[in-house]
Amino acid sequence: MWAFVIRKLVYNIPVYLAIIMLLMVLLRQRDPVAGMLGKNATEQDYINKREELGLNVPFFVQYGKLVKSIVTLDFSQKVWNEPGVTVGEKLWTAVPRSLALTVPALAITTVISIFIAMLSAFYRGRWIDRLLVFFAVLGMSVSFLVYIIFGQYFGAYKLQQWVGSPVFSIHGYESGIWNWPFYMLLPVLISVIVAMGYDTRFYRAVMVEETQADYITTARAKGAPQSKVMFVHMLRNAMIPIVTRVMITLPFLVTGSILLEEFFGIPGMGYVLLSAIRNNDFPVVEGFTAVFAGLFILSIIATDILYAIFDPRVRLQ
Amino acid sequence: MSAIGKMMATREAQKLWRNKSALLAIVVIGIYLLTALFVMAGGITRDTCDSIVGSNKLPGFFQQDSPEKRYENATTKFLSKIKRALTAEDVTAALKEVKLGPYHAADKSPAELETLVAKIDTLAAELDESPNLDIDPSILPKLAELEAAESQLKAPLSPWEQFVHNASVCLGTDSQGRSIFFRGIYSIKIAIQIGLVTALFSVALGAFLGAAAGYFGGWVDHVVVWIYTTFSSIPNLVLLVVLAYAFTNSAAKDTLLPVYIAFGATFWIGTCRVIRGETLKLKEMEYVHAAQTAGFGPIHILLRYIIPNTAHLMLINFSLLLIAAIKSEVILSYLGFGVKNQPSWGIMIRDAGNNGDVVGGFFWEIGFATALMFVLVLAFNILSDALQDAFDPKHV
Repeated sequence: MWAFVIRKLVYNIPVYLAIIMLLMVLLRQRDPVAGMLGKNATEQDYINKREELGLNVPFFVQYGKLVKSIVTLDFSQKVWNEPGVTVGEKLWTAVPRSLALTVPALAITTVISIFIAMLSAFYRGRWIDRLLVFFAVLGMSVSFLVYIIFGQYFGAYKLQQWVGSPVFSIHGYESGIWNWPFYMLLPVLISVIVAMGYDTRFYRAVMVEETQADYITTARAKGAPQSKVMFVHMLRNAMIPIVTRVMITLPFLVTGSILLEEFFGIPGMGYVLLSAIRNNDFPVVEGFTAVFAGLFILSIIATDILYAIFDPRVRLQ
Repeated sequence: MSAIGKMMATREAQKLWRNKSALLAIVVIGIYLLTALFVMAGGITRDTCDSIVGSNKLPGFFQQDSPEKRYENATTKFLSKIKRALTAEDVTAALKEVKLGPYHAADKSPAELETLVAKIDTLAAELDESPNLDIDPSILPKLAELEAAESQLKAPLSPWEQFVHNASVCLGTDSQGRSIFFRGIYSIKIAIQIGLVTALFSVALGAFLGAAAGYFGGWVDHVVVWIYTTFSSIPNLVLLVVLAYAFTNSAAKDTLLPVYIAFGATFWIGTCRVIRGETLKLKEMEYVHAAQTAGFGPIHILLRYIIPNTAHLMLINFSLLLIAAIKSEVILSYLGFGVKNQPSWGIMIRDAGNNGDVVGGFFWEIGFATALMFVLVLAFNILSDALQDAFDPKHV
């Protein structure tokens, strides 16, 4: 197994280098300096600022610098738009806020959708299955934006009017575990509802595939109770696609949800990233993407390994 | 194309034609396509979408404004333009210039208009004495009189103009007084255009690279897998936004080109993976071996035996990518990185959110944009499902 891990890691080095390169090239299509200096800057100011930001050196020198700082896990570069803050500090404050939103959302969505999917697969072709699939398709057809806007309007604004005091925050954020339900519960619920359509359909397809397998027929034939067939035989065998799907979404937990964070004023990673791109804050975008891409590659390797653990027939090669 | 034609005559395709909801979805998509063609042919122009057709945030279904707002409309918009024209040096020329939405100044002499304006002013002065027009029903006849006088300032509309005007206000107006109906319909064209261009491009690129990688293997496979792993390891939204943002200083910034490139660069990956996997399976088929033994070149085999047999996957992916493109366009436009300077559903939803429509309980703009988008995406979702059921039933 270790040979597999090392081979995979080596194989992904060029991928990782290309990610950093691609991102740097794309970002440098824009000139951040002119925007920072304003209209009355002289030619000399411009040159000085470029030198200060390290943009005056050739591209490959900048590239080498970034790769070196990533390899040594050094995130002490200065954020351009906030004096005195390093990229590491910025990530360190923003990522936990995003995780407080995305981790509960992923957990709740996965559990509920697996349950609904099993129900749907169990009653496959009957009206309850059709109804569930129909609602899943309906739910998938509404824009994320609309869920957020109406969720915020009814869940926070209107509810506050009916109850008389604020139940959920409309906009804003405070850290601390006791503040979590007030600021985060509503965004988490919205995100669960949005993701549910996709996940339910995916897991249903997985379950339906399993219900046709021979071992289910065998289990039924030998007289195993229905609940045992569903929860023991079927669920265990359906674990591979479920684990794959959850593993693949893990790195995306740190990106947070840009739209939810923007609407509810949660200064998480999505929000920070978007404003960094808007304000041409290259170090933040580069530092964050470097971390994300690393996590992404690691999670793909981890998925392969989990595959082998869950299914002894799979050989790592 | 002929591959798709052949595919549609197979037994699997008949399963599709028997699926009633899929047929309904195809009809709905057809209606949207025709509407998009109508807009493209000049049926609704950008000017129509941007012109002001009435008071702002006018409710739809021909509901009337509140008395306060009716009073304000009758005494400010058109009237002030007429007043300004009447004080100009060349009154007749200035009157000809007066225009508000479809309305022009009535074909009357300046003296006649002066008397009408004076009459309106006296009526308005009387109404001013009422503290709140909204709660005082006794002023309604006077308000109607005021509006009648004001409408005499306007040249009567021809039946066609009247019809267009009625259509433009049938679903109300946005916060700038522009027609919600026309803006929503125009956005159909934007959505369909972005969807078709990016889905066609992504499927073509993904299928080509995927089939080549799967068939040739070796270094071709390594390079293709390397490229798509790279692209998929950058957070999708970061890539989309950075790509779209890279164009902000170029000449193409106001066109749809940045959106096409951003979607095209990210959307081909899924198709490429699927087609690569299918090609790996297909190249071990006996008929492919037979063709190889018969001495056909790899290009011939790819075009003749491999790619046509992945046509069903291409079709399914095309349909799924259309949905993804339409939904992503709305979100990108909402964030300010997508469509610019022309209406789109994302822009309409953003306007409705930013101008306090939702908080004020005015749902016409966000509602119409959402409804149009919902029906189209739902139709494509149903169609994709039916395609998958018919051609790729084992898909998970």
